[in-house]
Amino acid sequence: MAKNESRVVYSPREKAIRAILWVFLAFMALVTIFPVVYVVLGSFKENGELLVGGSNIFPKKWVIQNYIDAWSQANFAVYTRNSLFLSFGVMILSLINATMAGYVFSRKKFPGKELLYGIFVAFMFINVGSVSLRPLYELAVKVKMNQSLWAVILFSVGGGQATYIFLARGYVNGVPKELDEAAKIDGCSFFQIYTRIIVPMLKPVMATIAILSFRQGWNEYILPMVFTMTNNNLRPLTVGVNMLKNAGDGTAAWNIMFAGATIAIVPILIVFCCFSRYFMSGLTAGAVKG
Amino acid sequence: MIKAKRAPKKRGMKEGGGIAATLMLAPSVIFLAVCSFYPFMWIFRYICYNYNGFRATYTGVRNFTRMLSDTTFWNSVGTTFEYAALKLVFIIPLALLMAVLLNQKLRGSSFFRGVYFMPTVIATSISGMIFTFIFATGNGILNGLLQNLGLIGKPIGWLTDQKVVMYAVTILSVWAGFGNYMLYFVTGMTSIPEDVYESAKIDGANGVQTFFKITLPMLSPVLKVVLMLAITGAFKDYEAIMVLTNGGPGNRSMVMFLYIYKLIFATQAGTQAQIGYGALLSLVAAVIVGAVTIIYQLVSKKLDDVV
Repeated sequence: MAKNESRVVYSPREKAIRAILWVFLAFMALVTIFPVVYVVLGSFKENGELLVGGSNIFPKKWVIQNYIDAWSQANFAVYTRNSLFLSFGVMILSLINATMAGYVFSRKKFPGKELLYGIFVAFMFINVGSVSLRPLYELAVKVKMNQSLWAVILFSVGGGQATYIFLARGYVNGVPKELDEAAKIDGCSFFQIYTRIIVPMLKPVMATIAILSFRQGWNEYILPMVFTMTNNNLRPLTVGVNMLKNAGDGTAAWNIMFAGATIAIVPILIVFCCFSRYFMSGLTAGAVKG
Repeated sequence: MIKAKRAPKKRGMKEGGGIAATLMLAPSVIFLAVCSFYPFMWIFRYICYNYNGFRATYTGVRNFTRMLSDTTFWNSVGTTFEYAALKLVFIIPLALLMAVLLNQKLRGSSFFRGVYFMPTVIATSISGMIFTFIFATGNGILNGLLQNLGLIGKPIGWLTDQKVVMYAVTILSVWAGFGNYMLYFVTGMTSIPEDVYESAKIDGANGVQTFFKITLPMLSPVLKVVLMLAITGAFKDYEAIMVLTNGGPGNRSMVMFLYIYKLIFATQAGTQAQIGYGALLSLVAAVIVGAVTIIYQLVSKKLDDVV
């Protein structure tokens, strides 16, 4: 059925089938996109309209008061800043950490290398769920790091690093060793080869790692929730907006929650629209490990 | 002697940078030790204790005997299996169908692919929240639309009725995840050579025959990996369920990792953290997931031998 588009001529029956299939694809696309459209448009509705419900998707009256309230009264300015700090922190540290480790794993021979790498991979599959957050939380309290988002950033990087190291190592393996040798003859040290030769060559895979780790930081929920139980001013958007829901009189503040949810998803959707290639290549590259 | 003397020198020439390499690898090893290894060991420290976050008392096998008679836990294990089965039954065929359709190279295919993949980039906590709005009984848009179309008489309690809540949870997880598996299938299909399809067409095979006789068999390695990822993934899901239903109504949608989370972090007011007991249940849950994974591996291997 899959054909070389330029050459194939379709019979009328085939054309009809393809038209029906296209309609089905479009319908599924609408269903998929509906919840997002619903919440984005709903964020411009007045709270009264949201509480009554019904089947209107477009607001009867467009208001932006929800955003003003969310931003000033409901602390969303702080949540947004925390989310940005968290996701850029995770992204930058993941990039540095994964490319360095990937470079060493690919280029350096040392005893126990395979074993160490095996342990990295093994912990990708060992999953004990939320229980591992408890010792990390107690550790952060012990070293007095529970008063900033740095603990969340570090634990997030640590939790997600295996996939990124895997991606980076695979890519360094593809860089010709002759480049290293030539740089070494020119007097580059092991670290200089990394900064001058390897990093510039790694740009494509670094883009993938950057995108995936940014999303990881932006979407992190249970980890920051546990760490900011008592500190409202450290909460990222995911936690802050859900706190509103659990606040008891949640039904009353639907408009704020719609605006908050929109603030939480629109940036990542914009990133996705611009860089969808990297999201998808990261996924399939990561699958090779399976 | 000469050889032994020369070897280190040669190695020094060729390798070098041992200190630099150690320093460059150190962060990831420290991360591994602190974020992965330490918590794993920590669990074993407390499985025989009653620990509320402040004080730990040794209780011997009490946690273990409690687990055996803890119906909430065993029900949550059952719910986890039910959830995983429901999710897989819908998400795998849907992902496969969408991948096959995208592979027909219809107009706008890459746009559609992006749209189907989009939910996977949204935080599960936020999609869970969006679906609580959509599923709301009184003012939710889903009931509104269904009533407008005349499909239902009175509103359905998607999140409050024990009989339907699992379907609501399934709808959310299928929506949020099918694009992921679809993309694996799409990638797998690009490696099936075109001329196989062409010769099938010359032999007069129709679309359905082509799918079952060519696409599916040639896709089976990918299908196996995807099933593996989907099974283990489904057993670990709890974030979205936590936001959507928080295990309710009446523990009907309580999956095991959510139950454990609640034990460990005492999220309900007036309850105390039961970390030791939660640690034990975590281990049991990990063993259950591991067992399911191994059984799946054995079954898929058996199928290989038969086919």
